[in-house]
Amino acid sequence: MNVAGADRNRRLITAGAGTALALVMGLALLAGFRLATQIRSSITALQTASELQTYPGVLTQQLTALRQRLETREYTGQAHAELAGTVGRFNGDIRQLATRGKLQSAQLQEAVQMWQAYRPVLAPILAFSGEPYVDTDAGSSLSESGKLYYGNVRQAQLLAKQNVGRLHRLLSAVTRSLEAQTSGAAARLRALLSGGVLAAFVLAAAAAYLQLTRIRHERAAREAQEQTRDILKTVREGFFLLDADYKIGSVWSEALTHIFDRSDFAGLSFEKLLENRVPPNTLATAMKYIKLLWGDRAHENLMKSINPLGQLEISMDNGRGGKETRYLQFDFHRVLGPKGVKHVLCSVSDITSNVLLAKELQEAQENANAQVDMMVGMMHVDPLQLGSFLDTTQTGLQLINAILKEPARTDAEFRKKLGGLFRELHSIKGEASALNLMSIAQRVHRLEDMVSELKKKAELSGNDFLPMVLKLDELLAHLRGVREMATRLTALKDSATSGADAPRSSAAERPGGRSGEDLTPTMQALAEKLGRDHRKAFRLTLSGLANVPAPYVATVKDCLIQMLRNSAVHGIEPCEARRALAKSDVGAVRVDFRRSGDGYELVFEDDGAGISPQALKDAAVRKSIITAEEAASMDTRSAMALIFRPGFSTQEEVTMDAGRGVGMDVVARTVYGLGGKIGVSTNPGRFTRFKIVLPAAEAASSAVA
Amino acid sequence: MLREEELKTFVEGTTNYFEVAAQQPATIGSPYLMEGAPQVHDYTGIISISGKREGVVYFTAPRAMLTVLLMKMQENDFSHETMRDLVGEVANTISGNARRDFGRDFVISVPSVLAGEKPEVPQKPGQRSFIIPINWRSHSAKLVVSLT
Repeated sequence: MNVAGADRNRRLITAGAGTALALVMGLALLAGFRLATQIRSSITALQTASELQTYPGVLTQQLTALRQRLETREYTGQAHAELAGTVGRFNGDIRQLATRGKLQSAQLQEAVQMWQAYRPVLAPILAFSGEPYVDTDAGSSLSESGKLYYGNVRQAQLLAKQNVGRLHRLLSAVTRSLEAQTSGAAARLRALLSGGVLAAFVLAAAAAYLQLTRIRHERAAREAQEQTRDILKTVREGFFLLDADYKIGSVWSEALTHIFDRSDFAGLSFEKLLENRVPPNTLATAMKYIKLLWGDRAHENLMKSINPLGQLEISMDNGRGGKETRYLQFDFHRVLGPKGVKHVLCSVSDITSNVLLAKELQEAQENANAQVDMMVGMMHVDPLQLGSFLDTTQTGLQLINAILKEPARTDAEFRKKLGGLFRELHSIKGEASALNLMSIAQRVHRLEDMVSELKKKAELSGNDFLPMVLKLDELLAHLRGVREMATRLTALKDSATSGADAPRSSAAERPGGRSGEDLTPTMQALAEKLGRDHRKAFRLTLSGLANVPAPYVATVKDCLIQMLRNSAVHGIEPCEARRALAKSDVGAVRVDFRRSGDGYELVFEDDGAGISPQALKDAAVRKSIITAEEAASMDTRSAMALIFRPGFSTQEEVTMDAGRGVGMDVVARTVYGLGGKIGVSTNPGRFTRFKIVLPAAEAASSAVA
Repeated sequence: MLREEELKTFVEGTTNYFEVAAQQPATIGSPYLMEGAPQVHDYTGIISISGKREGVVYFTAPRAMLTVLLMKMQENDFSHETMRDLVGEVANTISGNARRDFGRDFVISVPSVLAGEKPEVPQKPGQRSFIIPINWRSHSAKLVVSLT
């Protein structure tokens, strides 16, 4: 039973008890009134009886006195009158007593009968009038009537004398009986009054208890209200009730105002609460769900499990003219009444920090996983290669930062940075992919995406570069982690092989001392990865890469990475296509580095689709690198030269390995920068061959310097 | 890692100051990174931050720029003290913006001001900072965000 029900019952019980007590008191008062009336009557009768019991003696005395006066011839008038008065009172009083129904008793009946016997004797006496004497010479004597009168008095005196004792006793008994009746009634009245007083006390006590209880309940209700108010003011969740019209009730927790930045909730519909803050389809789903909650057959746990508002992303004004995203969690509980669902209790919590934390944790987890992947990948990379890559990347990122550092105020100055940034990033990404260091390659790829987006913007400013500089910082931090990891791995490998094997000779210590690192493992790893990523089957044959002079290692690596990626993406056909062209299922890519005259020659060749000059021209027109008219008048040689133009790519979709139009221009730029040459020959459907000629290494060093 | 919104809060705090104080907004140049403390200008207003992030954020400007700024603000006093107060005020605005946006996550110190040749900026050695050039009229200042 709820508190209100218990309180109502208690009030009913108290009111019933109070009414009963009041009724008892009323009855007691009525009975007391009747008793009091009875006592008053009894007292009157008692007084009458008390007087009456003296009359027989008085009557006897008066008759004796009258007789003596008659005998002594004295005046009898007064004695006669007194006797008449006494008889009259006796008569009246005894009749009065006899007529009281409740005082009928044997004694009184007998006394009345005895008094009836007096009446014929006394009647002639009382009827006598005149003078009982006659005067004679001898003195006064009784007249005839006087003699008769005397005789009657004498007879009456004798009767009175004879009956006085008995009559007195009878009347005394009547008096005692009346006294007993009066005492009994008085005792009952006292008892009744005591009962009444007690009942009054009980009633007063009950009233006092009732009042105290009421005060206590009012205080408890006040405290409960205050506590409810405090809870609603303090609780961090927003609470409110929804009625059958999906409108918010008049009570809600204060947190709601902070969560929604408003305070006009009373009567506000749930739909209006979320309107313009969530997408329309989300709002529609939310309203459908709310309607379902009002169904009698809806199962609470099931409803909870399908709650679409468990993590709701809403857009709020940030107070600075912008928008911010918050994540809210809604919970719904149906409040049931006797006639079904009365309200729906909604609780809403701002879980933004939790969601962001979860995202950060997920990111951290992904980073951790990426680190593990990277560590596994790094274990397969030659430490020297890895060290070289990290150094090159560090230098590349420093170059990127230097490009960013160049002062810029105008759109043109900002735009000028993009090309350089792109080339450096692309180069780093290529090397990272070649070493299968995908966590680095992916980060650089995201940076490339940013640069691509900036290229599309109509007007550039410094604000547009803020996200990029943050990503660059993140990449540098990541590189530091990779370097630390590489150091630990090297230490681990060294400790595992110490004592067993002689330390590995570094590239600088190789026989001859002039060659750099052997690029063979890097290129083989890249070929395997590209084959997997693009589902192409080809065999890479490498020769002479161990003899690349140290000053050319980076250049040769960059060139090979780019050309290998081009082959994997554009050159080598899928197996089905190759089969249809009567080619072997597995493509062939051949790389040969050798001395040539004073310098060196790098040949890269694949037996893929070749390059179609028309396809090059079409792509260049699509990318607005040349106009349609220029394309029409362009010869094959010029068309082939398009692949060395910045921003050129025949691929529409941007992937990790192609599509940005940055790559072959980097290769060409680097080669020309070293004083070398690059040439391409192709036969569509048969092969593509790049031939790079580099000068002697000493010449290259002076060119770089 | 520092988030974009956090960096933007510091940048907006700085550029808004120019817009409000001189009715002429400042723009930002090309941001970049630098290891160690960058060369500061004549006057530098610094706030130290602890809590969710640790480090310093400071605004450093050349005297010439501050002089023009004061002129735009209808000030006639171009003394050393006024210059100090001015960079302190910019730092205070940055601090206010950060308090408004980050609340209790950031504990921000009262701004302090450095002036003179080669003042010692309280920055961790080797710490990488974000350098955001603040361009206003023909002058250029720097906002340095060095937080971990």
